[in-house]
Amino acid sequence: MSSEILIDPITRLEGHGRIHIFVNDEGSVDHAYLQIPELRGFEKFAQGRRAEDMPQITSRICGVCPMAHHMAGTKTLDDLFHVDPPPAAKKVREMVYDAFMVEDHALHFFFLGGPDFVVGPTAPKAERNILGVIGKVGLEIGKEVIGVRKEIRDLMNDAAGKAIHPVFGLPGGVSQPISPELRDRFVAGAVHAVEFGKFALQIFRDVVLSNAEYVDLVTSEAYTHRTYYMGLVDQENRVNFYDGHLRVVDPDGKEFLTFEPRDYLEHVAEHVEPWSYIKFAYLKDVGWNGFNDGADSGVFAVAPLARLNASDGMSTPVAQEAYEEFFSTLGGRPVHHTLATHWARLVELVNAAERMGELAADPEITSSEVRTIPTATPTEGIGVVEAPRGTLIHHYQTDERGLITQANLIVATQNNAARIALSVDKAAKALVHGPEVNEGLLNEVEMAFRAYDPCFGCATHSLPGEMPLIVEIRGPQNELVREIRRD
Amino acid sequence: MRTLVLGLGNELAGDDAVGVLVARAVRGDLQDVAHVEESSAAGMALIEVFAGYERAVVVDSIVTGRNPPGTISEMGLGEVGRVVAPSLHQAGLPELAAVAERLGLGFPSQTVVLAVEVVDPYALGARLSEPVAAAVPELIRRVREQVLRWEGAPCTTTTPSRR
Repeated sequence: MSSEILIDPITRLEGHGRIHIFVNDEGSVDHAYLQIPELRGFEKFAQGRRAEDMPQITSRICGVCPMAHHMAGTKTLDDLFHVDPPPAAKKVREMVYDAFMVEDHALHFFFLGGPDFVVGPTAPKAERNILGVIGKVGLEIGKEVIGVRKEIRDLMNDAAGKAIHPVFGLPGGVSQPISPELRDRFVAGAVHAVEFGKFALQIFRDVVLSNAEYVDLVTSEAYTHRTYYMGLVDQENRVNFYDGHLRVVDPDGKEFLTFEPRDYLEHVAEHVEPWSYIKFAYLKDVGWNGFNDGADSGVFAVAPLARLNASDGMSTPVAQEAYEEFFSTLGGRPVHHTLATHWARLVELVNAAERMGELAADPEITSSEVRTIPTATPTEGIGVVEAPRGTLIHHYQTDERGLITQANLIVATQNNAARIALSVDKAAKALVHGPEVNEGLLNEVEMAFRAYDPCFGCATHSLPGEMPLIVEIRGPQNELVREIRRD
Repeated sequence: MRTLVLGLGNELAGDDAVGVLVARAVRGDLQDVAHVEESSAAGMALIEVFAGYERAVVVDSIVTGRNPPGTISEMGLGEVGRVVAPSLHQAGLPELAAVAERLGLGFPSQTVVLAVEVVDPYALGARLSEPVAAAVPELIRRVREQVLRWEGAPCTTTTPSRR
């Protein structure tokens, strides 16, 4: 017999999630898990639609990562129509995609990860928000974030159509070349973005790394899991957000597996649990052995920490230096501390900015040869990119006219879902003892999965309800024993 | 233009489309007196959308479970729930306003939120449910009225600092 502690966050702007914590009679946590809702009906929704519309359609599913879906969809169309874009098109796509990575990572660092990471979980509630972050790191960086994001979004709008819903990728290329004037603005934008990235890393060193309490938090066992890690890498096994092959390293950091995106389904399967409608991805070559970490468990992770772990380095100099500092500070590769993903995100931001600049400076970037018209009959396509939150896969099958017969998306959070479940479970067990819980402890459990910045299944936009957070403690007969309200 | 009408929502996801649909319905009518925007972005990503306006009407879906679907609640900034919640994209409008002020971006001094209780904002490809569809004309009317009321009234402002 056990009692259940339910964290039911109703106040949300994006999706909905609830954490269940089951406490047994001895007062310790039996099991804790996170339930995430997702948009339902994608398969049916996609059927009968033109495949060429999928990059636009799927970019509308997610208000947070529209360019990631757009790009994954576009690459899927290349595969589907058996067409290879000209080199200039690939460069244009990668440059615009790196711009998106900068924009998203910049938002995340300051506004999203900050309240947990910079301010700290045991800070007074009144400070654990963005204003607290500004108080800690200063006004300047906040203004810089806004400035960099605006500049990047203007660049993306001009290269790719509306930044929130790009109209840019086509099978075999992109819709328009980059003009010399736009190229010059990308060059300037990249310079600002690199400066911003360096500034952000310095803030991080000054505010977070110099504070022993934060470092203890990052390296604490409650937020540590020894899993496999996966990410896209280039020919030299360096992180690449747009293209490459997938590489998986084991919990000791040794290369375990590499495969082409097209072979994804041979290596990754999905496990289903009765208590959640999310599907948990795992490595087929290891097998599903429950919600455990270690080399015998097929649980793996994606996203910034995983990408750095799965690579041998970064493709650009300032990011490479930051990569080396990251691993030497945290005891070598791989790093298993989930909260270190916030730092890894900054390393990636710098890399995306530098790479954007490299591509903008490439003479081929203004070429008018940005499209190879497909001629083959479409059949099936798989496309993979690294979204800010991890590996994203689109998979379409069509009839001979290019109308979708089957479509599936594996979003980043599905790849992380098992590890997120592990994190929630472990944090709850370490921090919750008996049905007497306080708000600070609950927050620490939530921190366990906030670090993953979960997609919440490309969730929706409903305004937060009026009700505050409610925790219900129930006895063995499911009777309500106690209610804690969080406001 | 000093007035913003913002329709929030995912147009592909059933009832979650309602905010976007209302924005589109009023755009033509209000083009001389307001900028009408639509967005499916969330949380802090919206901070730039509000910058520079003195007044804003926001239309969005809401899930409280406490009102019948189609119920329209009108809230000022202070009444929108303060958010301490698991999503990192989570930021309530009060947080946005506070941060925008702090960063000198300017935030509307008058903000009205029209939230309509919805049935299912998670079903891709679904149409608006009946009760929510029935609320749309009323939402349109109230957006129009609010904007026109402001137009008739003397304007009060906070002055955003010029960047």
